[in-house]
Amino acid sequence: MIEAESLVKRYGPFEAVKGVSFRVERGQVIGLLGPNGAGKTSIMRVLTCFHFPTSGTARVNDHDVLAEPHLVRQSIGYLPEAAPSYDDMKVREYLGFIADVRGLEKARRAERIGLAVETCGLAEVYSRDIRRLSKGYRQRVGLAQAILHDPAVLILDEPTSGLDPNQIVEIRALIRDLGREKTVLLSTHIMQEVEALCRRVLIMNAGRLIAQGTPEEIARGMQEATVLIVSLKGPVDEAAGRSLAALPGVRSVSPMRRLQDRVEVDLEVAAGADPSEAVYDWAVARGCKILGMKTEKARLEELFARLTAGGRDA
Amino acid sequence: MRSPHPGAGALRRVGAIFRRELRAYFTTPVAFIVVIFFLVVTSGWFFFAEQFFAQDVATLRGYFSLWPIIFILLLPALTMRSWAEERRQGTAEILLTLPARERELVAGKFTAALALLLLLAALTLPVPLLVAPMGAFEPAQIAMEYLGVLLLGCAGIAAGQFVSALSANQISAFLFSVAFMLVITLIGQIPSVAVLPGWLAAVLSWISFDFHFDSFSKGVLDTRDILYFLVLTAGFLMVTTKVLFVRRFR
Repeated sequence: MIEAESLVKRYGPFEAVKGVSFRVERGQVIGLLGPNGAGKTSIMRVLTCFHFPTSGTARVNDHDVLAEPHLVRQSIGYLPEAAPSYDDMKVREYLGFIADVRGLEKARRAERIGLAVETCGLAEVYSRDIRRLSKGYRQRVGLAQAILHDPAVLILDEPTSGLDPNQIVEIRALIRDLGREKTVLLSTHIMQEVEALCRRVLIMNAGRLIAQGTPEEIARGMQEATVLIVSLKGPVDEAAGRSLAALPGVRSVSPMRRLQDRVEVDLEVAAGADPSEAVYDWAVARGCKILGMKTEKARLEELFARLTAGGRDA
Repeated sequence: MRSPHPGAGALRRVGAIFRRELRAYFTTPVAFIVVIFFLVVTSGWFFFAEQFFAQDVATLRGYFSLWPIIFILLLPALTMRSWAEERRQGTAEILLTLPARERELVAGKFTAALALLLLLAALTLPVPLLVAPMGAFEPAQIAMEYLGVLLLGCAGIAAGQFVSALSANQISAFLFSVAFMLVITLIGQIPSVAVLPGWLAAVLSWISFDFHFDSFSKGVLDTRDILYFLVLTAGFLMVTTKVLFVRRFR
């Protein structure tokens, strides 16, 4: 279980995390989603006790990251971004080294290494130099290292970045399996990853948590964001455009786009409503012609873009 | 999950780091180059430049007097990677999120470099063994000379790893360590080339490695000199630990 409260992380004058609070229950796969520079890695570094928070607190498995960093580090597995590992070692040696530092007893050591190798599909490359492995295998070595001591919490920073599509599918399947027993917090800037893997999503932007919920909840929010694009021809001005907002089911109206032969306007439509008939009547009453209407269900991607639009400075 | 014998756990962690570091020395050619370079240069110096045989004196002082000079280049070559390379490769993030304390990591890396230095020293044993039958050498003096170079080596390694912990890459770690070693080894020579007030000359020579190494090379056991190197070593190991810890706050 992971709890963060008013977490702030500052690097010199730069505030990477600006007061983030969240809770992750046991046995879930949670996505930490946000554009690059949103503060995802900084949060993970605080949760893994690589860095201490500037202010605020975090607890992992009931251990405070400031008071008991040693115990926090014992109870988590961490895959840092880009899956660094000791290149000069063989997979066998590297996992052995991690097991030794983690203090696994002899019998358990062999058992856990065997299991990690099997789980992560490393048998073929077990005696190869890590330096000579593909990006996909290195990522798996990083995962094997993270699950070696059977931690209750896994923290994975961009576990699929830089992989080819086949490798992505494999790693996702692996994470899904791990998520059956463990609490997994993974970061990504790719929406499909969240849709494919996560029971809950935390959306971050510019150091702040801007939305959280299940993908379904966020999808519902997405439907609220259905947009009706109306193309018109005829005498319409901004005031007339604004009167569209009074129609039932219309939540807001965008400024008009004046194209060569037509005017386009976007109506944000409330969930379940369909104002197209009312729009038609509205047009007829003003002597305009409707050239077309099209409904766009904003995908999670667009919602994400909208939610994070204010944060281009990040 | 607290281990019943936390001390034993710490020892195992230090041991794991130690073994990894030691083997890392031998997966790159660095260790081999360093060792061979060292053996060739010191032996060449002693037998040819120093004209050991022509001098016809039963002492290895000339031999050991070169070690601190070679160490100026040799120790930084051994220590430059220790922390700088972890940072550059990103493995620091693995190492520092494992359940090992900073002091355990520092101890593991230090002892690994020290082990390599011991190996190096052991490889030079044929030199005293070779010349021993030729004259009335004093085994005690040779032992003191070995003790001196090893103590000096400890301080140099601890300093080099400290510099490496502060450096972004191994090249700058190497250069800054060499600069440090150069200064601390030779600063005691300044009074012999420049006119300085007496107290300053005394301070400068007291600071230098050379000054404290001198008694060892004469075969004199002086606790103050042993303490000098030990305190310096412990001090550098401690500040390295602090650097690793403080960096977690940045």
